[in-house]
Amino acid sequence: MTTTEAVPRTAGTAPEISRAHTLRQVLHVQSFQILLVLMVIFLAFTALAPDVFPTWGNVRQIIQNVSILGVLGIGMTFVIVTSGIDLSVGSNLVFSGVVAAKVMQAMGDSGWGTAIVGILVAVGCGLGWGLLNGVLIAKAKVPPLIVTLGTLGGALGLAQVITGGVDIREVPAVLQDTIGYGNVPGTTWPTISLIAMVLILIFGTVLHRTRFGLYTFAVGSNEESARRVGVKVDRQLISIYALSGGLAGVAGILSLSQYGTTAIAGQSATNLNVIAAVVIGGTSLFGGVGTIFGTVIGLFIPAVLQNGFVIVGIQPFWQQVAVGAVLVLAVYVDQRRRAAAARGRSAKPDGKKKLYGRRSN
Amino acid sequence: MKLTPKATLLAAALLAATSLTACAGGSASAGSSAGAQPKLTFIQGVAGDEFYVSMQCGIDAAAKAAGATINTQGPAKFDPTLQKPIVDSVVASQPDAILIAPTDVAAMQAPLKAAAAAGIKVILVDTTVQDPSFAASAIASDNKGGGLEAFKAIKNLSPNGGKVLVISTDPGVSTADARVAGFEEGAKADSTFQYLGVQYSHNDPAEAARLVSAALAKDPDIVGVFAANTFAAEGTATGIRQAGKQNQVKIVGFDAGPAQVKQLKEGIVQALIAQEPASIGTQGVEQALKAIKGEPTEKEIQTGFKQITADNISGDGAKYVYKSSC
Repeated sequence: MTTTEAVPRTAGTAPEISRAHTLRQVLHVQSFQILLVLMVIFLAFTALAPDVFPTWGNVRQIIQNVSILGVLGIGMTFVIVTSGIDLSVGSNLVFSGVVAAKVMQAMGDSGWGTAIVGILVAVGCGLGWGLLNGVLIAKAKVPPLIVTLGTLGGALGLAQVITGGVDIREVPAVLQDTIGYGNVPGTTWPTISLIAMVLILIFGTVLHRTRFGLYTFAVGSNEESARRVGVKVDRQLISIYALSGGLAGVAGILSLSQYGTTAIAGQSATNLNVIAAVVIGGTSLFGGVGTIFGTVIGLFIPAVLQNGFVIVGIQPFWQQVAVGAVLVLAVYVDQRRRAAAARGRSAKPDGKKKLYGRRSN
Repeated sequence: MKLTPKATLLAAALLAATSLTACAGGSASAGSSAGAQPKLTFIQGVAGDEFYVSMQCGIDAAAKAAGATINTQGPAKFDPTLQKPIVDSVVASQPDAILIAPTDVAAMQAPLKAAAAAGIKVILVDTTVQDPSFAASAIASDNKGGGLEAFKAIKNLSPNGGKVLVISTDPGVSTADARVAGFEEGAKADSTFQYLGVQYSHNDPAEAARLVSAALAKDPDIVGVFAANTFAAEGTATGIRQAGKQNQVKIVGFDAGPAQVKQLKEGIVQALIAQEPASIGTQGVEQALKAIKGEPTEKEIQTGFKQITADNISGDGAKYVYKSSC
């Protein structure tokens, strides 16, 4: 069984093969396989708790709780597609939330004017850290793992310096009522999820249908080739890390709206959860392959597992075991696919792609 | 069978699905509508903390005696961003009552109020929220009194006065804040003691040890440290032992977990202020069942505490030690 006939490297580009192979093509697309996994898990829980689990009330709150991670996942998908990594998203979120909360607190008023200033400040802070990441990675050629590890500590530390370690609990009521817990007027769809969905659609289109997205895949697939072909690699990388940072800023204001507090001590595992979600969704850690759709599915798997476990009455620790297993298996499948593709390709030796290796120069 | 990617993913799905069916037998049953058996859920502040384990033991026993089903869940860390999804999931499963230790006075306000609005009776155990009026009952130790008691214990141990420090967990945790306030009140009223302030260890023993080491480096003549909860006490004792100052610095800890009792017996910690978590749990179940039946409940209940020292640990202090399993 060969899968070498024009296997799409990037899911989302039209496969130029005969109809007879289309179904097999689709089945091999990892994001579809992950969708099957999600459906199996969903059906399993539905069988175990048919009155409670599959209700709209329950599904609605799963979607609401996943929204903030969804926003972070968009940026992380872009970053991982370039074979980079961004560990600083959680701390960036906290820092943006803290600065926004401080500014809004200083402004005093509780209405939309203050809220909008807060939103802009949060996004600005996020962009700032993202730009710092991008410049250090692209220009100073420091590996992304190290740079974002540094900004992880730096952003969180600064957030604690600004607040003295004490959470700020004054968030304008308009933010909490409309974004945090509100629904889209006339429906029961959470506003926060609508925001996340709009961002996912916008950036999904950017990744899969624009030149910017194409360059992103090119840089991730083979950075040196991209550079020689004329892609402005440095600018691309800086933009992508800035995007990831900016989205972390958006997530910061969303988190502030949902929890009503800066939750400085929280978000410690957020970066790893987002990375796990992106990888489970089919984005390759070695770059060049990935979909936003896959990321969305990858986000739902841990959330559905945890929700289901709580409803069925199982110890919450098993959820982490299950997610860990699915994560490792997802990367294993990705490795198998790459090995099969490399074997099928003509004589050119691919060479082992180093994970987060030093940028070629 | 060849391990093709398709087969692997099917295996992954089966693993994820069976890891829950395999464990379904081992814990509380999801409430079936068998007659009028009340369905209770207990949401801990953090899973794995002996204080909450002891509370769970009390709740389990009381629920069993009353014929109610009980499901216990808790976040891996004392963190509202981890507790909120659990609360949401529990609310979706529609228990008759929730007993919960909220992890943040502000962040948990809205989700719990929504739970109460959905018709679920909410009992706050241990910690509370900014506006607990929606709750049927709020049960906690008299934490402020406990903090004052801790200061009195330090005064007994160091009658000549000196510098004292407090290691707490996180600001915004109502119980810890009350203990610190009680201790501070006692320390500031007494002119022989110099109050060095409070440091936050974020419920991490390693962090507490680091903070204490740093504080001792800054003020080598500290005579007493009050550690405001289980993990803070563990870490503080470690930090002082590392600095070799066991004989000079007296430690009074709050909460009496097995590790702290061991430190008490070894002489590293001089006194422990133990709460009564099992009693909080039992009373919580009592109030929950009253609320479910529509009877009037007591809005605020304060439980007591016991000072455990090396003298009474083998005697009547022994039954106040927290359990690490039921």
